[in-house]
Amino acid sequence: MTGALKYEWVRIRTIASSYWMSGLAIGLSAATALLIALFSSAGDIEELNIVQFTSWVVTAGASFPLIPVLAAPFFATMGAMAMGHEYRYGTNKATLTALPDRVAVYAAKVIILVGWVTAAVAAILLLDLAMAWLFMSNPTLSSDAIRPVVNYWGYCVGFALAGLSLSAVFRNQTGAIVAVLVWPYVIEPIIYGVLGAIGSSSDAGIIRLTNLLPSSAGRRSIFDPYELAGFGGAIDTWGVGASTLVFWVGVLIVVGAGVASFINRDA
Amino acid sequence: MALIQARGLSKTFGNKAAVRGLSFDVVPGSVTGFLGPNGAGKSTTMRLMLGLDNGEGVTTYDGVAYRDLKQPLRHVGSVLDAKPFHPTRKAVNHLRMLAISNDIPTTRVTDVINIVGLGDVANAKPKTFSLGMGQRLGIATALLGDPSTLILDEPANGLDPQGVHWLRNMLKTLAAQGRSIFVSSHLLSEMALMADHLVVVGRGMLIASGKMSDFISTSARNAVVIRVDNPELMTRELRARNAAVVTEPDGKLAVTGMDSDAVGNLAHELGVRIFELSNRQATLEEAFLDATGASEEFRASMGFGAQQPGLGGPGFGGPMAGAPPGYGAPPPGYGPSAGYGAPPGYGSPPGYGPTQGYGAPSPGYGPAPGYGAPPNQPPAQHASQDGDDNR
Ligand SMILES: Nc1ncnc2c1ncn2[C@@H]1O[C@H](COP(=O)(O)OP(=O)(O)OP(=O)(O)O)[C@@H](O)[C@H]1O
Ligand SMILES: [Mg+2]
Repeated sequence: MTGALKYEWVRIRTIASSYWMSGLAIGLSAATALLIALFSSAGDIEELNIVQFTSWVVTAGASFPLIPVLAAPFFATMGAMAMGHEYRYGTNKATLTALPDRVAVYAAKVIILVGWVTAAVAAILLLDLAMAWLFMSNPTLSSDAIRPVVNYWGYCVGFALAGLSLSAVFRNQTGAIVAVLVWPYVIEPIIYGVLGAIGSSSDAGIIRLTNLLPSSAGRRSIFDPYELAGFGGAIDTWGVGASTLVFWVGVLIVVGAGVASFINRDA
Repeated sequence: MALIQARGLSKTFGNKAAVRGLSFDVVPGSVTGFLGPNGAGKSTTMRLMLGLDNGEGVTTYDGVAYRDLKQPLRHVGSVLDAKPFHPTRKAVNHLRMLAISNDIPTTRVTDVINIVGLGDVANAKPKTFSLGMGQRLGIATALLGDPSTLILDEPANGLDPQGVHWLRNMLKTLAAQGRSIFVSSHLLSEMALMADHLVVVGRGMLIASGKMSDFISTSARNAVVIRVDNPELMTRELRARNAAVVTEPDGKLAVTGMDSDAVGNLAHELGVRIFELSNRQATLEEAFLDATGASEEFRASMGFGAQQPGLGGPGFGGPMAGAPPGYGAPPPGYGPSAGYGAPPGYGSPPGYGPTQGYGAPSPGYGPAPGYGAPPNQPPAQHASQDGDDNR
């Protein structure tokens, strides 16, 4: 296992794309935080809203429903590359002759990726905080921001793991990147639309099935409490705990499929 | 440690049996050539041996399966693909990454880069590498752990003549140190110079395994060639004594199944006058074509059989009829030679290194004046070199 960890640690540090992806994730998030911070100090914001605004800034807008988790696609791509490169460039045979214990290889990829993404998310949060303190007139951080921040990290990690595992399932990097991006931004919205249409015309209960869409559930788990309150009601949306659970069940299903594929199939 | 024992290797893709019940040994102190037509299952066999493909059978390295080897790169080095690396990860980093996975000191990375002659491009990105340079990087990874066993799938593919020469000398030197070298190649004249043992497969099945000299001696192309004053009588009497006789276009008789002494004595008894008598030794290529003729899977429409007059005379049986008699098990009494062992430490073993004068392929690197096939490398070899692209 230590051999696999050392291998993976060198692997992730010796390709430019690791730095590109992390840099873009950090840069784009910080820029968004900056914009929200500037926007909040420009206008006249009530006391309640300043707490909300601060939470938006520290999550680079992600706790506000209309701004996506901008960093997630980059981490998902990094994840897809962690395994996809091996198939794309045929290094998987060299890797597995050096490290025949496939479980260890997979586990090492997961551990190093999670560590890397965690460090990058920490950098994002620190920069976001800096933006709040530097550019907001009176930033107010309440304990309400803790849960969105933690789930923001979880969302990024979950997408990175999904990218990694999808490339193990497809044994193809491009396919994995497409899938991990198309799912949250195309497939789930389509399902939302279809279920919504059915729900409004005939069976209103069917719309509750949208609670089971993992990416949307993960997204909701980041919303700040006020937005989340407004979001529920009409369509009977599940709470934060259940939504977080749905997200992680979705991630774990993909990870399980990736592990099974990686361990059992020909290299 | 270096004895490889493959037992009952089988692999099916869909309903296509790529490897069927292959068993063979690769003994220490030898270069064992792995031969077979395209699609015969050589690469699949090597992947099975390294635990990369799921199939049946076991391969052990001094009794231990690959997956159970601790730090396997220190025991078995392998090259399976022509360009198995990320195009933008520096060559030195590629090697460091693999080295650290098996706790191989980084100083060894510099050593192997120099051994394969890539010292000047160690910090270059492999996307700029030619096929041969990529192959050298692959060989460098195989040598990283100073392993006692090497498994190489067409390592000469893409190498220039100097590179082929260098590889041959290196593998022979490594074998002489008591290591086991298992190498596939379609370059038969190269193999004839390099290997002392062979494993020959066709359509996934074993055709022969054992000493190269034994393999060649079973070829129908080995013959006693005679020119006599009464070929009809001679032919009849030879056949009556169970020898096979082929009349060649020039009227000479090619006799198999009887040695030259016996042929000479018979002629004497019959009062037949001999004008010429010689022993003709088959080449590895001839023996290989004989042995694998029937198992060639992808036969070109203008097959090379047509260019082999005289091939296929009596006594030339299809290989699928079975391995030649007495073939199969490695010779008894075989074992690691005395004093065998990996050299201590990590220094490059004495006696092998980049061919003198071969630097990193610099820009504008091209054939030297008067550059041609070195002796021992007939031009035909280069023609075939282009054809055996290892996928
Ligand atoms: N991944 C795969 N999926 C399906 N079939 C395969 C796969 N790999 C190999 N085969 C089939 O198995 C057979 C053996 O292939 P293999 O590559 O082992 O042959 P080979 O002896 O190495 O040939 P070559 O001399 O051309 O390199 C071929 O018929 C090939 O089509
Ligand atoms: Mg092959």
